[in-house]
Amino acid sequence: MSLEVWAEKYRPKRLDEIINQKHIVARVKVFIEDRNIPHMLFAGPPGTGKTTMALCIARELYGDQWRQNVLETNASDERGIGVVRGKIKDFARTIAMGGAEYRIIVLDEADALTSEAQQALRRTMETYSATVRFILICNYSSKIISPIQSRTAVFRFRTLSEEDIRKFIGWIVQGENLDVEEEAVKAIIHLCEGDLRRVANLLQAAATLGSRITEEMVYEVASQAKPGDVRRMLQLALDGRFRDARDILYKMLVNQGLAGEDVIREVHRQVYGLDLPEEAKVRLVEAIGEYEFRISEGADSLIQLEALLARITAYGTSTPPSRGLWR
Amino acid sequence: MWTVKYKPRRLSEVADQREAKDKLLRWLKAWKPGEKAALLYGPPGNGKTCTVEALAAEMGLELLEMNASDVRTRERVERVIGRAIKMASLLGAKGKIILIDEVDGLGAADDRGGIRAVMKIIRESAFPVVLTANDPWDRKLYEVRRMCQMIPFKRVPVRDIVKRLDQICRMEGVRADFNVLHMIATRNKGDVRGAILDLETVAQGKIRVTLEDLDVLGDRERETDIFRVLSSIFKSTSALSAKLSIDEVDMNPDEVFWWVEENIPNEYENPEDLARAYEALAKADIFRSRVVKRQNWRMLGYMIDLMTAGVSQAKEKPYRKFTRYQRPKRLRFFSETIVERKSLREVLSRLASCLHCSTRKVKTEFLPFLRYIIRQKPDFAEKLASALNLEEDEIDILRVFYN
Repeated sequence: MSLEVWAEKYRPKRLDEIINQKHIVARVKVFIEDRNIPHMLFAGPPGTGKTTMALCIARELYGDQWRQNVLETNASDERGIGVVRGKIKDFARTIAMGGAEYRIIVLDEADALTSEAQQALRRTMETYSATVRFILICNYSSKIISPIQSRTAVFRFRTLSEEDIRKFIGWIVQGENLDVEEEAVKAIIHLCEGDLRRVANLLQAAATLGSRITEEMVYEVASQAKPGDVRRMLQLALDGRFRDARDILYKMLVNQGLAGEDVIREVHRQVYGLDLPEEAKVRLVEAIGEYEFRISEGADSLIQLEALLARITAYGTSTPPSRGLWR
Repeated sequence: MWTVKYKPRRLSEVADQREAKDKLLRWLKAWKPGEKAALLYGPPGNGKTCTVEALAAEMGLELLEMNASDVRTRERVERVIGRAIKMASLLGAKGKIILIDEVDGLGAADDRGGIRAVMKIIRESAFPVVLTANDPWDRKLYEVRRMCQMIPFKRVPVRDIVKRLDQICRMEGVRADFNVLHMIATRNKGDVRGAILDLETVAQGKIRVTLEDLDVLGDRERETDIFRVLSSIFKSTSALSAKLSIDEVDMNPDEVFWWVEENIPNEYENPEDLARAYEALAKADIFRSRVVKRQNWRMLGYMIDLMTAGVSQAKEKPYRKFTRYQRPKRLRFFSETIVERKSLREVLSRLASCLHCSTRKVKTEFLPFLRYIIRQKPDFAEKLASALNLEEDEIDILRVFYN
């Protein structure tokens, strides 16, 4: 049975189906016609079709045998370049199936690689360029070192327009026989931040609530379907129940294995909805930024987030928050 | 040595631990080859080893004993115990109990073989195997734990220790006031062996023992030490003495760090104190990451200062109260959920490969929605499981971990 996740089910299978990104599709078609693909770097916001483009290229090149000729690997899941290199080496050594000259390695979330790892990757790319082509995927091309950028054709994926998103919604509506109110469509466009993956997820979750999807359903899903329980954690901290808040934090980071950065970003998103004096919110944002930076520099997420929670507790329980607390 | 001289010979002589003894007896009676071993655990000196020895003596079983320091390597274990296990079937005759003392003393890295050997013994032994440990929740004992019936040994109540000390005094012809014995019992916090040792130290060669005699006793190093360190950090108003307190315990700074982390909210009640204390700890953590990242050991000193003096100075004024300090949850949390987290990782990585993205994206972008859908339409879990080639209860991990 195939995976009934709409984001996957409605992922375009052919280049022509890709929503927008016409400028890239046109170039890529030429490469495929010539059967000559350069190393490529796809940069752009999430959910705009980067991975889909890579998979479509593979399908067009290799037909049914595309899976055997593509190595999908994800820099955020592979610990260190060593693993990546090992996998790449093994893959590059075997010959392409179905008479193709080279195989394709898709390295997703390449901006998760450290610059040392990228240096190593650059050598690997050179060593195996006769037998494999790389498609590197990232959100920000500025995080990719320039020697790699200069060896790849860089494609910038555009943020999708409202019209693009409507087109994608229409697809799913047709395929699933849905009935979606115009206000609900607007809500989805507002909530998805241009990310088609989120569009599909929102729709699929909302569709479980009833046959006619309303604006309320969409917002209900959006407020419930959040990674972890950041909202409750923050509320407990504000109410002075630090220990209970800390328990939730433990659960998110240890049991559910969420990344500290993802949790802290969600905290950032929710700051303005907290019951705090406006001035405290601004100071809190500054603190959140500081803690996120520390985590990104290798500090322990649990400790840093705990310190943030303790601070929120202090803000929440002292009215007005004492100005002297944090210079 | 009085601790040897007055070792319990019979089960009934072991102080307290009624439930534990019952449980052990029941386990032993029901034991057949291939069944679980018994893991007796609890703080030092409360009768774990004595109980096994007395039990063996009483039931006429031969006791094959080795402690952790003997189990250094696999070869050694196999030589000592492995042979006994195999010979068993040949000789038959008299039953045995195999006792492996202090399994938590097996170091993680270099004794990996030791742990494996212990597991092998449990699996293959023709005789019942008993293990003892002070801290059975240690991560490295995780697999061993699953092969054992856990039998907790409590701290022995002061009253029972006093009773035992009193018996010994009478047999030794020593006169000791009740409050002397009570004091010895209390300061040993449930450790009978420690109490008897203390009694011998102050009473040997004397006819009468008074409270003043107790002054010679130094403090025995163990958990009480970390409690003392915590109390100096939290109660002291001097930055220097808070900083120096860490030398009083034989524990690496990383571990002390987690003890402090666990107990800040137990001590500090004022939210501003709490916030300042955690900020000090968060800064200590930055220095720790510098040590790790750059192997710059000079930075360790700053980490220690911030987690001790820094946390100490976070309070406006000391809290006048008795604080019950707790063992760090963090260290335990990790080891207790190993299996679950492993199967969660498996589910996540299958989802990641089907959805062409990283497991991190699965966690943040997909799981919240999938969870929502499953809540609304429970049969979706089944579909998901079959598409991922998983059993339905494997998918259940999503529900368990995200409740």
